[in-house]
Amino acid sequence: MSAFLQATVYGLLQGGLLALVAVGFSLVWGVMNVVNLAHGSFVIMGAYLGWELQVHAGIDPLLGMFAAAAVMFVLGYAIQRWLINLVVNAPIFITLLLTFGLSLLIVQGMNIIFSANYRSISTGYASTSLSMGSVRVPLGRLIAFGIAVLVTVALVALVNRTRIGLAILATGMDRGAARLMGIPARHVYSLTFGLSAALAAIAGTMVGTVDTFSPAAAGSFTLLSFVIAVLGGLGNMYGALLGGLLIGLVESWAGLYLSGTWVNAMAFLVLVVVLVVRPSGLVGRAYYAARVEV
Amino acid sequence: MSTVTEAEPSFDRQATGSRLDWQRMLPWGLLALLMAAMLGLQSQLYIGQERTVTAIFMFVALAQAWNVIGGFTGYACFGQVVFFGIGGYATAVTMVHWHLSFWLALPLSGVGAALFGAVIGLPLLRLKGHYFAIATLGVAEGMREVVTNVPALTGGGAGITVPTVGEDATTAYLGNDGFYLLFLGIAALSLVVALVISRNRFGFALRAIHQDEDAAGAMGINTTRAKVLAFSISGMLTGLVGACYAFQQVVIFPDRLFDVELTVLMVVMVVIGGSGTVLGPLLGAVGLQYLSEYLRHSYTEAHTFILGAIIIVAVVFLPQGFVNYVREARRSGDYSLLANVRRYRL
Amino acid sequence: MRSKATATATLAAATTAALLLAACGSKGSSGDSTESGTLTLGAAMSLTGALAREGALTKEGYQLCEKKVNATGGVDVGGDKLTLDIKFQDDTSEPDVAAQLVDQFNDDGVKLILSSYGSANTQSQAAVIERNGQVMADSAGADNEIFAQGYERTFAVLSPATEYAASMIKAIDELASPKPETIAFLSADDGFSKTGAKGGMDEAEKLGYEVIPVEYFPEGSTDVSSAITHVTSDHPDVVIGTVHLEEGVAIVKQSHELGLNPQAFGETVAPPTPDFAKTLGSLAEGVLGSSQWTETTKGEDKYFGTAKDYAADIEKEYGHPADYHDAEASAACLAMVLAVEDAGSTDADDVRDSLAALDTESFFGTIKFDETGQNIYKPMSVIQVQHGKVVTVWPKESAEASLVWPGTS
Repeated sequence: MSAFLQATVYGLLQGGLLALVAVGFSLVWGVMNVVNLAHGSFVIMGAYLGWELQVHAGIDPLLGMFAAAAVMFVLGYAIQRWLINLVVNAPIFITLLLTFGLSLLIVQGMNIIFSANYRSISTGYASTSLSMGSVRVPLGRLIAFGIAVLVTVALVALVNRTRIGLAILATGMDRGAARLMGIPARHVYSLTFGLSAALAAIAGTMVGTVDTFSPAAAGSFTLLSFVIAVLGGLGNMYGALLGGLLIGLVESWAGLYLSGTWVNAMAFLVLVVVLVVRPSGLVGRAYYAARVEV
Repeated sequence: MSTVTEAEPSFDRQATGSRLDWQRMLPWGLLALLMAAMLGLQSQLYIGQERTVTAIFMFVALAQAWNVIGGFTGYACFGQVVFFGIGGYATAVTMVHWHLSFWLALPLSGVGAALFGAVIGLPLLRLKGHYFAIATLGVAEGMREVVTNVPALTGGGAGITVPTVGEDATTAYLGNDGFYLLFLGIAALSLVVALVISRNRFGFALRAIHQDEDAAGAMGINTTRAKVLAFSISGMLTGLVGACYAFQQVVIFPDRLFDVELTVLMVVMVVIGGSGTVLGPLLGAVGLQYLSEYLRHSYTEAHTFILGAIIIVAVVFLPQGFVNYVREARRSGDYSLLANVRRYRL
Repeated sequence: MRSKATATATLAAATTAALLLAACGSKGSSGDSTESGTLTLGAAMSLTGALAREGALTKEGYQLCEKKVNATGGVDVGGDKLTLDIKFQDDTSEPDVAAQLVDQFNDDGVKLILSSYGSANTQSQAAVIERNGQVMADSAGADNEIFAQGYERTFAVLSPATEYAASMIKAIDELASPKPETIAFLSADDGFSKTGAKGGMDEAEKLGYEVIPVEYFPEGSTDVSSAITHVTSDHPDVVIGTVHLEEGVAIVKQSHELGLNPQAFGETVAPPTPDFAKTLGSLAEGVLGSSQWTETTKGEDKYFGTAKDYAADIEKEYGHPADYHDAEASAACLAMVLAVEDAGSTDADDVRDSLAALDTESFFGTIKFDETGQNIYKPMSVIQVQHGKVVTVWPKESAEASLVWPGTS
């Protein structure tokens, strides 16, 4: 029983981290219909930024992540404004290829700049844990989980309650109509992408704090984001959180009750089953189900 | 989606007699010529070059196979590599455990992949767009895990060695010359299949589904049957390539046989060449594979960096693919690449 | 309509012509690229992709070897001094590319090959080497599976995979006090790690320890929590992980998080690399590891001197402490060079025979091959992280410090 509880707690915490990785990916997909294959490389780039700040400036990752997010926001904005916007009306394959090229470029660039060595942002607290009865709660992961929840809530508030958020939402639903209302789509798209990159940076800093990272891990983060975004329902922020938690739990339980090597298989099984049974994702109707393609 | 691959109008049916024959036969003639040229080329190559060209043939076949489901039918299959892996493991496992000859294992692998395509196609092809893409991706990733988890049969993560030497060998290793011919044959087969599909009723049904599935259904096309058949054919071709690849490699590992990167490469080749055409994926596969080989040899450290930049530039300036660009440009007389950029930019 | 067809025809014709031209063009330029006065070795390396880190270290090892040998005037082949020239190619960490590159080297007349990194790559390469009649010095493919195929042309300078965990068990058995009773094994699911785990379990059973059945997790995974949750209830005295760096770090980190606190952790591959102690900080303290080579390995040779000299050279040349991946690469290169000198010829068959007969001391320890091509004559070293530094604790003759037991505080 205690093993079950332990696995559940750990799975949920791990799931929160995964959700944080995926939420920006889901946002971009939902609003712009762009599958950003470079998302994983943004996560790793965020981890390197957090690492640099900690090693060279002694800034704690909990503060450093905001700086990393700011840098990645600017970079993301620029990439969308001057690159992806060039092909954003093309079929989904095209943006997919573009971001694939981008991820090759970024990953190999990081390989050259930072080398392929594994790194980790070390803090005094990240690997200590709290004991709750027989269950241990790792502090670093708990913080990452808390940040994931906060970020999701903040993002939903941003999208639903601010002018800029509503502009993003409106552009995502019907770009043509949004433009008629005077919303500058180019700018809004760039903001959205910048926001997604900033979220990736926050996730990356957290990943770097609780786990190890290297440029080669970029691909697996993109893949995970894919899975979680679809599970939750595209563009649905709470959905992404839920999708992440589900994947975390499934992997943790599969590891406990089946052999540890079956965890990934279970995650993909859940994905395929959810898709076939409930293609719009776990959380009701997706925000952008009403999307009008232009 | 429909902007990239306009269905080719069925001009050969409306054309007059003599031109009809000429235009119908032209691609076949060219194909025969190409095959003859490739056979001639073989005698000019050294072993290492032969392997490079063999790898190009492999990607020609893979790109064309993906084109059947992704290009003609418009279903973005992101788990195409699952057929490659199934074909490869079917061959390796039957050769190791059942002591089958490769020549028996090869067609069996093709049939196995086609059946698998039909079985997963029935539920999955109900999904559209991204959802289909992700579901197939999930199947491919899941299959890799399954193969890794039955080491008694597949060797698991440690890989499986196809017996090619000694008394265990059911079929002697073909050598570089043999594999050149084998992969050339598979590439030819895939080109023939794509050519046939592009010109018959079935192909038009697939294109109709691509353009508007509901309308295609209303026109009396059994869309489910057409889609599942296309998926099976695509799977079979990919499975055959996987089977040949397993025999060529001798040692195979699940990580490589179910590598997402292979799927992405197929998509890149088809889209850059021009999806929904027969010539496009051929050119895309030859061009990209040659380019990546060249870059790897010339820039050992930075080659993926350069390849990434080239893909970005190609996608921005030729979003509809090379062949479609040339066709449209010839029709309209406008060769400006900037016109391409203008079309899809925001 | 006509224009479409013509376009198609033109394109196809152009392609055919281009391909034919390319073919004719390359015929002249290819062939035997081994110039007189040089000894050319081919090396397909994992410079990009998942193994890029280890690939880069392996390349350093090969490059240092090239430099050291050429500094003495070159390779002495029957009185002629040949300049050593290693050709590097990137195999993108994929076994099929690694194999293909070996074929391409063969095409260029390069018969003597230095291996890529990792068992999967090497295994694929060995099959091609055998077929082409080339010879390979294997620097990093340790899986015993490679040598069970009856290959006669691949020679590994490193100890086989079964020794990785087994050496730690032997060291614990010899040095630990109080003696532990139960040992748990955690393993990644790739071939090399599984073989290592099996070797360790066999050794532990032989020495009379209670062995908790091995828990596997996917290779490259950074979440090993469920495997740890599993073994926690058995309260093992020692946890042995047959892993690579990222999984090794995860085991120590997540054991700490989940309250698994054995007397010691022992891990293959991970602890000797500087990144291990760097990423784990104080958690790395006391972790045991097995290493193909350490700075105190006994033996010396004419090119590299002793292990200490070697470490100093790596530090000077590349600005980081020597890693055993550097050393095994240099040793493979050294074995090839010595074999060429012994043979007095660069012919692949002669070099193969002299590799098979090679029996020499070096900075890497004994280099000698059994009939399958493995180097079983050199012991592995067991190291422990003490005060953030990697020190050798076993075998006794090369120990720098005594084992701290229990390893965890």
